[in-house]
Amino acid sequence: MNCYETLFVIKPTLTDEETAAQIAKIKEVVAKNGGELLATDDMGMRKLAYPVQKNDRGYYTVLFYKAEGTLISELERNLKINEDVIKFLTVKYTNTKEMAQFNKLVDAANKSVEKTEAPVATEAPTETEATTEA
Amino acid sequence: MAERRKFKKRFCKYCEQKVEFIDYKDLASLKFSLSERFKIMPRRLTGNCKRHQELVTVAIKRARQTALIPYIVDRKNVVENPFEIIK
Repeated sequence: MNCYETLFVIKPTLTDEETAAQIAKIKEVVAKNGGELLATDDMGMRKLAYPVQKNDRGYYTVLFYKAEGTLISELERNLKINEDVIKFLTVKYTNTKEMAQFNKLVDAANKSVEKTEAPVATEAPTETEATTEA
Repeated sequence: MAERRKFKKRFCKYCEQKVEFIDYKDLASLKFSLSERFKIMPRRLTGNCKRHQELVTVAIKRARQTALIPYIVDRKNVVENPFEIIK
């Protein structure tokens, strides 16, 4: 099992629900192929430094996970096919120093989620229920 | 001969802070090694040590790939405050 980090950018034209659905879809790919998702970092809508496929903005998400190397090719294949994903980058953390940093990043991401989750928690379940019903 | 070099003795900023790894998403730490046109500053100007310069270079190149910082800033799309954008 190796430690990986994948950053991907979703098109700004999608609605909030659609972006959430896309992120869930990608997480599912990680889960299905035996990946262990440690943390997610929502960087949110940001301005891109240069236009990508004529988009000036994008929705950034970072996934931190542990997985076998075979997952990466499958995940990247999915990201390439997906037309709503305009950019992605996978980074592998190998040696001990990088691993220490990886754990730090995971902790930081988890902490920031906990902070934001308190007010959001009431909204999040209702959204998921709505999607399952539909 | 009589004139001596007037440069200040440079030291590595990252060594001083004992940085082990530079994250490409942390733009604040990359900013130091970027020129105002988002070029990678050479070691002789920043005073970075070789090890940290290599880390910074990789981080900057990754940030460029993910559209966090631009590859070039040219006259065609002038930005007023380039560092304001990449907060």
